Amino acid sequence: MKKIIISLIMMFGIISSTSFAGTLVINTDTSDAAPKEAFEYIIKKFEEENPDVTVKWNVFDHEGYKQSIRNFLNTDPPDVANWYAGNRMLPFVRAGLFEDVSDIWKDSGWVDGNLSENMEHAKKSMTIGGKQWGIPYTYYQWGVYYRKDLFTANGISVPKTWDDFVAACATLKAAGITPITIGSKYLWTTAGVFDYLNLRTNGYEFHMDLTLGKIPYTDPKVQAVFDKWDELVKPGYFLENHAALSWQEALTPMVNGEAAMYVMGNFAVAPLKEAGLRDSNLGFFQFPEITPGIPMAEEAPTDTVHIPSKAKNKTDAKRFLIFMSRADVQEEINKILGQLPINKNSSVKKGDPFLKAGLNMLNNAYAMAQFYDRDAPAQMASEGMKGFQEYMSNPDRRQKILERLEKVRQKVYK
Amino acid sequence: MFPTPIHQRPIVNQYIYKIFLPISLIIWLIPIFGILMTSIRGLGDITAGNMWGTPSEFLLFSNLYDVFTNTPMIKYTLNSFKVTIPTMLGAVALSCMTGFALANYKFKTNLIIFFIFIAGNFVPFQILMIPVRDLTFKIGLYNTITGLVLFHVAFQTGFCTLFMRNFIKALPQELIEAARMDGASEFKIFWRIILPLTRPAIAALCVLIFTFIWNDYFWATVLIQGDHAMPITAGLKSLNGQWITAYHLLSTGSIVAAIPPVIMFFLMQKHFIAGLTLGATKG
Repeated sequence: MKKIIISLIMMFGIISSTSFAGTLVINTDTSDAAPKEAFEYIIKKFEEENPDVTVKWNVFDHEGYKQSIRNFLNTDPPDVANWYAGNRMLPFVRAGLFEDVSDIWKDSGWVDGNLSENMEHAKKSMTIGGKQWGIPYTYYQWGVYYRKDLFTANGISVPKTWDDFVAACATLKAAGITPITIGSKYLWTTAGVFDYLNLRTNGYEFHMDLTLGKIPYTDPKVQAVFDKWDELVKPGYFLENHAALSWQEALTPMVNGEAAMYVMGNFAVAPLKEAGLRDSNLGFFQFPEITPGIPMAEEAPTDTVHIPSKAKNKTDAKRFLIFMSRADVQEEINKILGQLPINKNSSVKKGDPFLKAGLNMLNNAYAMAQFYDRDAPAQMASEGMKGFQEYMSNPDRRQKILERLEKVRQKVYK
Repeated sequence: MFPTPIHQRPIVNQYIYKIFLPISLIIWLIPIFGILMTSIRGLGDITAGNMWGTPSEFLLFSNLYDVFTNTPMIKYTLNSFKVTIPTMLGAVALSCMTGFALANYKFKTNLIIFFIFIAGNFVPFQILMIPVRDLTFKIGLYNTITGLVLFHVAFQTGFCTLFMRNFIKALPQELIEAARMDGASEFKIFWRIILPLTRPAIAALCVLIFTFIWNDYFWATVLIQGDHAMPITAGLKSLNGQWITAYHLLSTGSIVAAIPPVIMFFLMQKHFIAGLTLGATKG
């Protein structure tokens, strides 16, 4: 009797597994227009290339997804889900909810060439415990956007070192121009500045350790970051009433020629150009070196695809991940998104100097940080950014702020 | 009469009135004027800080086009109608009956029930947020138009009942007694006598409830998550890009969203004002 039951169960198992083969369930948070269009496009392309696979695609609201993914990875896992690189995926990897996909990264036979080599620069942000847990498909650069004409008029060339950078700020300030614009009303813009100061002063590994909670905020190395920050804040090189403005409103002084630089992500280019700036007077440069010899890591928030470890159709899920890693696919996705492909063999839209500059910079980057609010846990990130904003408005309170952040760190990472 | 008509006041007061009326009117209308101006601009003007000056381009039509093509705005508008009209009908129908019952029948708990209806109006929305969400979730109506409609009907019936009860109470009692003498059933009295007489009140209530529900934002965001049931007030936020707040599209969308209640107001202006003052004369 037992045997019959077992064989019956096995039979059902076979029947149900065969009926699942061929259906690929994909969950994404691409509710915004461009990301939605990008996924529509690639899913169609994937189905055309793999006629035996039918994709069932669920789009979640961008914000709601952060909650939903916790539920569905446990209870009703799809075969593929999108998420973010770096420490953001750490909780899911630790809980055993993401599948190890190191084999895709290792096995060059899977893909058109050698994936590990083509995506070497992004490998670090996909690696936890020596294994890779997903495939990155898009990112965008952060750096300094500046008014070329204001630089030329004041005889400033693109600063490569910290001293040059501070000197450029001094020259601009003396000419009555706000050196750096920023709108810190919604806090996160300050984290961009902090991340770069820390990456350049102490390096990628230290930055990751800090955001992972391994280092106290009162550490002398963190103090060193704020020493550098002091050099910009104390002489008033940032826009004066920054706490009252959103990042978008802080573009206005730059458009009107009252401010010269903005530490920002590449999404700032579109509105700046719409407001009348051209390639001739708007430029981009890499955040300058601070501590000589530290390898240059960049801020490049990366979107990724993963296979949940409880997925039903892992075979096709892997095919999809390999498909997503291909140079031609990444090229198409990022054409729609207006962002950068990770695969080094992809190219970007011709005639866009900002994408080109970003591509060059990131392809040669030592590693990618994912932005403070993705690298640090939510609670730490929100307190941290509040602290950064307070510091930028009242640099004298620095010590108190850092002590407060240290208390938060001890609570959050318990 | 209170307040004293302005032309009976001292001449100085009349002048002050004549000077300050337009000024306060302008201050009052500046935000709306700002939205109108923004709706014809492009994002470029806004980023460049040109908020109040002459728009560099006239983009009203392209903004309108974007509003309707980039986002499911038509669906949101339909959803708004699907929420507003059933709520209006449901709340008014229920309150006609409750109002009739509370105004005409003398029973022990009459006053208590009436007070419960009134008390419901004094409970702040925010307190109800979590229980109502849990309730709709458990019934399986979370994230559906039906759920939103049922909640609105329940919540609006309190105010409507107060309104209808007072109106019916003010009707001459003799009409009902005469009908009863002639042997009309209670339902017939309600249907043939009361309803026709309360027509002005019903019209006023309909207009009021339509505007209340159409303009609801809070419950739409609490009870609705997806595009399939999102009304236009809450759907406007989808006009924003991934990074950019599209002020120009938001303004255009807001104007589109405001059109139905504004039309309703102008068509039914008399009833609207009657509705706001009806309850005040007889308590």
